[in-house]
Amino acid sequence: MGQCLCCDEKDGELPSLSVPPPETASLPSPLQPNISVDRDRSFPSHVIPASEASHLRRMLPHIDSLVLQTLAVIGNLVENDQETPPSMLRLQALSNKGHGWLLVLHSMVNVIPINEPLGPAVITLVLDDCALPAKDSITKVPRMFWLSAKASKRGRSDPNRHRNICIALGCIAEKLAGPTSVALLTDSTLDYLIANLDPLHHPSVVLFSLIALEKFAQTSENKIALNKRFHQESQHPLLVLEKWKLADDYMKRQVGFCSEWCLDNLFVSEGRPFTYERTDTSAINVMLNSQDVSEYLKIAANGLEARCDASSFESVRCTYQADAGIWYYEALIVTPGIMQIGWATKSSKFLNYEGYGIGDDEYSIAYDGCRNLIWYEAESIPHTLQQWKPGDILGCLLNIDREEVIFSLNGVALAPNSQLFKSAKSGFFAAASFMSFQQCEFNFGSKPFHFAPSGIVVCAFNDHALLTPEQKIILPRSKKLEQLRLTNIHEDSCSLCCDAPAVITLLPCRHQGYCSGCARQLESCPLCRSSIQERAVLSS
Amino acid sequence: MAGLPRRIIKETQRLMAEPVPGISAVPDEQNARYFHVVVAGPEGSPFEGGVFKLELFLPEEYPMSAPKVRFMTKIYHPNIDKLGRICLDILKDKWSPALQIRTVLLSIQALLSAPNPDDPLANDVAELWKVNEAEAIRNAREWTRTYAMGNI
Repeated sequence: MGQCLCCDEKDGELPSLSVPPPETASLPSPLQPNISVDRDRSFPSHVIPASEASHLRRMLPHIDSLVLQTLAVIGNLVENDQETPPSMLRLQALSNKGHGWLLVLHSMVNVIPINEPLGPAVITLVLDDCALPAKDSITKVPRMFWLSAKASKRGRSDPNRHRNICIALGCIAEKLAGPTSVALLTDSTLDYLIANLDPLHHPSVVLFSLIALEKFAQTSENKIALNKRFHQESQHPLLVLEKWKLADDYMKRQVGFCSEWCLDNLFVSEGRPFTYERTDTSAINVMLNSQDVSEYLKIAANGLEARCDASSFESVRCTYQADAGIWYYEALIVTPGIMQIGWATKSSKFLNYEGYGIGDDEYSIAYDGCRNLIWYEAESIPHTLQQWKPGDILGCLLNIDREEVIFSLNGVALAPNSQLFKSAKSGFFAAASFMSFQQCEFNFGSKPFHFAPSGIVVCAFNDHALLTPEQKIILPRSKKLEQLRLTNIHEDSCSLCCDAPAVITLLPCRHQGYCSGCARQLESCPLCRSSIQERAVLSS
Repeated sequence: MAGLPRRIIKETQRLMAEPVPGISAVPDEQNARYFHVVVAGPEGSPFEGGVFKLELFLPEEYPMSAPKVRFMTKIYHPNIDKLGRICLDILKDKWSPALQIRTVLLSIQALLSAPNPDDPLANDVAELWKVNEAEAIRNAREWTRTYAMGNI
């Protein structure tokens, strides 16, 4: 591998702006003038037509400040149906005109700081809420950011900006899965992202490059190209990064988790056994339930660690149900962003697309250590503990006998809360919801607790639960889909759920073909819309 | 994939086996409730020749509640707004669990053939559609050329 001077700089330090890196200084092409961080960050005049340039150039400082304003207010947005902040509405309006979208993107990449826990979420949110870009704008993205393997190397001195570029690329690839995503994954984009997987990069650049690749791979054509490319490398980069799973550095640990997940689910590498085939789960008696989880949550093969990389609010419950007694579990906080971790019954709904999760209905309560709130019934009350950071331990205690929930962070407990018991008396599960790019690891008692509550005897799920070896297998997606395809559907089943037998005739309209479960949920006939007076059982 | 309901499996199998003419709906590789949809602009409409991308998502309550559908390709249409949201009664209060992904997409295709400016979502577009239909149709053709051709 060729060396260049700019790679010797330490992560996080900006190079001197006036000295262009030597490797690029001699390139005479007009598209590659003296490359410097200065140029990378300045107005992208090489992709904005002259007719719009002067106007947009004047707007740039304004757009930068709108992005920062949005970042500042987003953490305070707690109501799910709260109005969009004005700064975000302005960004939407700007992105809807001509090349405004490119400029909003450019600005977010430049100004969102790496240490802001909500930064990645804001990039995703803004891109999600902006009107869709024209194809012409999309094809200009790789050029606007000068994407190439060289840019990746140069980026080691500016991890902040390159992490943001990768977040944005991933977000666009996901939003516009299909031909547009294929158009965005040019050779230079691919070179850039693959080069970013070099372990010498700042781990957050590696992480978000990997996530971007994962999102590109949602389009089959890209997935094929990516797999081919991975196998051309002397060593599959993910096989190297996978080893970071156990790293002490929490950013590296995320890279390890995502690499392993990708190797199991997306970029399956021949000769590498699936993680579930080589994970020892003999001491684990309770897991996150892979049958009771919203679609995009990633669960590790040991069933204890979970992560969300989608733009939705992903939720999961554990496998064991508590009906009486005093229970305790801990969650190791891997990422400092928005997660709502606590307790829920089966009645609690996972509405990942609407942004509702644990703590957002009357059947669940959750601790949010990013915004410092306790959530119940989608209403929040502030709490006084410190904002959580990677490595912190959240303790969740459920005292069903005394109808109390007690949350603690690193052993410092809040006052007992009894809201949850207004609507539920039993049937509780450990449960959690995750915003984009959030991760934590649960300990249900298979390992010693860090901060076991003192002065009270608590039970751990792991000492009481039991799972069969089959139940402990968290199947990779490809294998799950294969099982689905083999599912047969009986012809005499209900026309609505296609599951239970169709035994009900609706009266008076006499339309039939429904099971009793579905019929009970109907107010009017699905076929003629006439109101239902009776649900008669058909005898055949 | 929380135990995918058989209803969704069945609809997906049928969509793959007997596709609707002018419409393709492919489930996402990672989320079987999320479909990537492509609708061809109907003949004789200002959207003819265009190829429109949509996303369709089946919420947890489906089929008791309607799928969520949105245009991903920009379109100049009085019942479709800037964010691609669609004003169509069967997606709202007129939803019936007897409707399916297939029937929803057919209705959307029909909406492209017959815009309804009296029930607008995009007010400026609807207004022009009512006062100067010829110009509105010109705009729709122009947008189709700009955003819906060569995008696939």
